[in-house]
Amino acid sequence: MALFPLTSNFQEDFVLQLVAVDTENNMDEVAAAAAVHSVGRRVKARPGVLRVRRQGASEPFARDLKVADAGLRPMECVEIYWEGSTANLREPRH
Amino acid sequence: MTVLNRLDWYDIARNTNWTPKYVSDQELFPEELTCAFGLAAEAFEEYDEPYKTTYPEYVKIQREKDAGAYSVKAALERSKIYETASPGWLAVLKSHFGAIARGEYSASSAECRMVRFGRAPGMRNMATFGMMDEIRHSQIQLFFPHQYVSKDRQFDWAFKAYDTNEWAMLAARHFFDDMMVTRGAVGVGLMLTFAFETGFTNMQFLGLAADAAEAGDWSFSSLISSIQTDESRHAQIGGPLVQILVKNGKKAEAQRLIDISIWRAWKLFSILTGPAMDYYTPLEHRKQSFKEFMQEWIVGQFERSLLELGLDKPWYWDNFLKEIDEQHHGMHLGVWFWRPTVWWNPAAGVSPAERQWLEEKYPGWNETWGHCWDVITENALEGNMAKTLPETLPVVCNMCQLPINYTPGPKWTMRDFPLTYAGRDYHFCSEGCRWVFEQEPGRYKDHQSLVDRFLDGQIQPPDLGGALKYMSLAPGEMGDDALKFAWVEEVRAERLKKAS
Repeated sequence: MALFPLTSNFQEDFVLQLVAVDTENNMDEVAAAAAVHSVGRRVKARPGVLRVRRQGASEPFARDLKVADAGLRPMECVEIYWEGSTANLREPRH
Repeated sequence: MTVLNRLDWYDIARNTNWTPKYVSDQELFPEELTCAFGLAAEAFEEYDEPYKTTYPEYVKIQREKDAGAYSVKAALERSKIYETASPGWLAVLKSHFGAIARGEYSASSAECRMVRFGRAPGMRNMATFGMMDEIRHSQIQLFFPHQYVSKDRQFDWAFKAYDTNEWAMLAARHFFDDMMVTRGAVGVGLMLTFAFETGFTNMQFLGLAADAAEAGDWSFSSLISSIQTDESRHAQIGGPLVQILVKNGKKAEAQRLIDISIWRAWKLFSILTGPAMDYYTPLEHRKQSFKEFMQEWIVGQFERSLLELGLDKPWYWDNFLKEIDEQHHGMHLGVWFWRPTVWWNPAAGVSPAERQWLEEKYPGWNETWGHCWDVITENALEGNMAKTLPETLPVVCNMCQLPINYTPGPKWTMRDFPLTYAGRDYHFCSEGCRWVFEQEPGRYKDHQSLVDRFLDGQIQPPDLGGALKYMSLAPGEMGDDALKFAWVEEVRAERLKKAS
């Protein structure tokens, strides 16, 4: 168990944020930790399951995958988005 | 006694290119401090300063300028501008003075480098006046806000900001140190005078002077107009340098330094001038939108001068044009949301009428930035103020040191631009900032952003209180919503009106 910092890029929010998680957290817990800083602050809540993927990846991490096993680097940018939303199709700028 | 005309003696008097006997030319003008790209002194003999003045003329004119600005201030001291100005306008004043006043003094040391290590006598001559200009700018921009310190501690940041680790100040200092304090004479001429002063100080000084006059703040308007007349003179140091470098096969080198400076200046001005023009200045006093001003002064005029001097548009120009439409909205939202961490009280600038103006000037604003402000507005309406504040840090860019942000809403185009260099991971806000780093990694690689410092344990305790202490923000100095959320009541009133 160890603290692990990640960069959260939350769907429809405007800024990257620091999110501290634990290496034992699974991806659902990572999504919930990221949501604290976006949903209800600048992003409207909506029903559905939040998924986590590496920046630029087309597929999300498995929901029960632990941070320690995801091969993420400290402060790596992960995208958190609602499953089934059009965010899957997004084309990042530039 | 008959006095010679200036042009009859100017060239002889300013030609101070002596032949050294006791040291070599290289020792007298080391490359690191001249930044002459290996060109010999002869290459710079063609330097012809476009603005010629002598010391007596300079002193006479400056004296008149100072007399003008100080007399306006003295005459208006009883006008109670502090008491009558809108809170948004006070935010403009505080952010401007804190970010700029001491930077001007730093700029005088950069001018000194050109005075001593410039290879052309005309360049050294102009820079001597430029050096004195910058000292004046620092003094006058410390003197004017000082009258408000007893009324409002945030004005103390005109002097204090530069010595702190407050995040916006870290960003300003990182840029200023890069393009003027740590460059050789030619580098300063290209990056400070040509790219930054010709291109961008017009934005801050002419744009805000117009808004100040509209807002009835004649002291500030005359102050910054007075400064701009100096800037427009010594900004001309860079132009002849560009011509010499292009002629002697050093176009790529000149272009590279100018491209770095333009990109970096853009990022800083997107947070300094963008919110001031489009959100803080009261709606009825806005002359032009930030985007309109950028298009007129940067896209129109500055782009033309680049091409006329034989340079190209920077490689990132298309991205830059796109950012003019969008970037500063996120900078503003970031400043406002993390408002306890700045030394001014940012005006939200999103009352119903202001949102309508934003949508007119920036079509699509409601579908992007408006979505975030909708959530904030609902929280404020319900009194859920804790949700209008942050509980973590934004990730900041390892180059511009500003929050990595971009367009929200269904478009959601934001992303990180990462880079691993010598085993360390860096995070950038844009291709432009990452490119700047890659030009000279050794220059930038050891700097730690505020987030790096936080993760390194330098900010204790690791919470908002610790961060505020680290940034030297004492109670009474931390920012809050400029209007104390009065704008929310306008939203409430409008809804009630519609419902009835």
